[in-house]
Amino acid sequence: MTSMQELRRVMCVEDDPDIRTVLEFSLGGLGGYEVCLCADGQEALDRVAAFRPQLVLLDVMMPGLSGPQTLEHLRTRPVMQGVPVVFLTAKAMRDELEELLQYGAAGIIVKAFDPVSLPKDIRIYWEHGRGPAA
Amino acid sequence: MVALPLPPAARSTPYLRVLVADDITESRDALAGLVRELGHTCITASNGAEALSLALSEHPDLVLLDLLMPDLDGFEVTRRLARQVTDRWLPILVTSGLQGDAHFIEALTQGADDCLVRPVDRFLLEAKLRHYGRVLGLQARLAMLAERQQAIHDHIADPVLTVDAAGRICEFNLAAAALLAAPDGASLAGGDLQACTGLPWPVGPFQGEVAVRDRHGRTRPMALASRSWAQGAQSFTTLALHDLSQQQEVGRMKDEFLASVSHELRTPLTSIIGALGLLGAGAAGALPAPALQLLDVARRNSERLSRLIDDVLDLTKLEAGSLRFAMQPRPLAALLAEAVEANASYAERHGVSLHLQEALPQACALVDPDRFLQVMANLLSNAIKFSPAGGRVEVTLQGVRDGWQVTVRDHGPGVPEAFRARLFDKFAQADSSDGRRQGGTGLGLHITRMLVQRMAGTIDVVSAPGQGASFRFTLPAHAGGKPWVLVLARDHQQQVRLQQWLQSLVRLETVIDLDEARSLVERLGPPAAAVADPRGQGRADALAATLRALVPRVVLAGDSLDPGFAQQLGLAWIALAEEGSRERLLDWLRGALAASQ
Repeated sequence: MTSMQELRRVMCVEDDPDIRTVLEFSLGGLGGYEVCLCADGQEALDRVAAFRPQLVLLDVMMPGLSGPQTLEHLRTRPVMQGVPVVFLTAKAMRDELEELLQYGAAGIIVKAFDPVSLPKDIRIYWEHGRGPAA
Repeated sequence: MVALPLPPAARSTPYLRVLVADDITESRDALAGLVRELGHTCITASNGAEALSLALSEHPDLVLLDLLMPDLDGFEVTRRLARQVTDRWLPILVTSGLQGDAHFIEALTQGADDCLVRPVDRFLLEAKLRHYGRVLGLQARLAMLAERQQAIHDHIADPVLTVDAAGRICEFNLAAAALLAAPDGASLAGGDLQACTGLPWPVGPFQGEVAVRDRHGRTRPMALASRSWAQGAQSFTTLALHDLSQQQEVGRMKDEFLASVSHELRTPLTSIIGALGLLGAGAAGALPAPALQLLDVARRNSERLSRLIDDVLDLTKLEAGSLRFAMQPRPLAALLAEAVEANASYAERHGVSLHLQEALPQACALVDPDRFLQVMANLLSNAIKFSPAGGRVEVTLQGVRDGWQVTVRDHGPGVPEAFRARLFDKFAQADSSDGRRQGGTGLGLHITRMLVQRMAGTIDVVSAPGQGASFRFTLPAHAGGKPWVLVLARDHQQQVRLQQWLQSLVRLETVIDLDEARSLVERLGPPAAAVADPRGQGRADALAATLRALVPRVVLAGDSLDPGFAQQLGLAWIALAEEGSRERLLDWLRGALAASQ
């Protein structure tokens, strides 16, 4: 990942429609990114090849494929080569967060997140491939 | 044993129901009349067969039996009664007018209890009946006592079993009978303990959690306390069980509930806080000033709700002893700088400036860095909230006698004296009139104190009205290689009590379970000794074995300890509820520290 490249395309996988709306306003409206909203893991797998995301925000607890399961499937796709995936989670216990990082995520954003700073926050994950705190 | 008082006997010599057996009408009537005159009741039989049948059907207390009767004579009746009356003791007094003792001796060897010469002397009969009345009365009282003990045994709601030295069940109460069944439907009585419960044999003195197989073949988690005792040359073990399945199920449900509360409450809040933040940032166009003001009210309160959820979850885990601490030696100066930086933007929004005094680079303490930052975030946000606009909040670090002291000082209204004592209590907030009610959750300082205590520290507040407040917490200084003592206790109150008792003597590190103990010993090296409360730690013998592999000297300290059990394990133990336990524990610890040097 070179820093010459601009982060433009962000895929968000989130089952809650209201949080999807917030993500769209935040990343699309404020951040100016091209956002692909997916309601579940399967939709993400269906659309990932066409969209070619540069970064994926992935909810952890979803009906159907969970976040970690979705990540596992996404990793098998060639377009996902070197694309950082950041978990979005309501879990806040450190044990649970450490467990999540073991799935190979670049970082974790804990709900409730700040939609105003989110566009800037995800850019840090994208540039480093791993979270600023990690 | 302390026996319950029995009801007093109605009369010191009870009236008896006497069976008089004699084939000669005159002598039978004479004897029956005498018995009645003495105040007893009487039934009569005119031959041996009738005497036998009445003895069985009428339940007399005593038999006056003529030896010389046709057909079934007194000797034969005596033999048969001895065989047939087995549920009680029926005294048989034989009577005869024959000369000499030979026939009496013969009757007594056949099973008679006593003899009387005919004609029966009134005073002799009175004395004998009084004597047997007393013995029978005593016997009835003993039977009542045994019945009462059995009833108590059976009314213990928890299963209680007693086994002999070979592991065979000799006694059990109703709860044990309801819980257990012998294989193949055999009786529990005489059954093999191992086969009936799945418990290992020998049990010996034991206190802790075990798995018991119930009558349906299901395994249940149970608390077992067992003691061994002897009666004469025989030894027994009595086992008291208590079912923990419901308790464990409740614990599991609570954990699940907390996990879903966390998720279910945070999800809608994420949308609310997100949408409000976006509106405020102009994501939907510029808003007029009154709208922004209302928006601010909504945002502030949804954020407060979010903090409340975090606090309640933290508190629940702290109280349940399920919050893990990753304790490690850390320089405090760096952590304080990190804390100040993390809270700088919040301070800026309130127009407050944070100042970190030039910190001591050598100050090192054993902390969980995340939890330390949480303590600082609570204290800093508190100080910021109560600072006037343009105010200063100062963070200082200094060495004190017990370790390193961090002070967070604000220049707000201060804490009213009346409220200071309750400041760290759960849901403690001063009333709104004094201006210290500032959108907090009422849990922040309570959690802060619990966190500090978990890291072996103390916290207090100094304040004068109008002159701000200084929150000070002290953590023991970490000096590598110095002796330290491991305190293992799941219960927060117990942790605090042991720390208060022992911290003047030696540096303490507190853990909630063996996993934490292991990782701490890995980082710090073995402690000089360990003080462990076995409650909530599973099998106490396994706990002791693991601890002894980690620590050379271990003392068990708890509220409900079985001395026999600790003795069996060869462990020192102190029942904390007993008077003088603090001194005994300190003495033990001094000895252990001396031995470790």
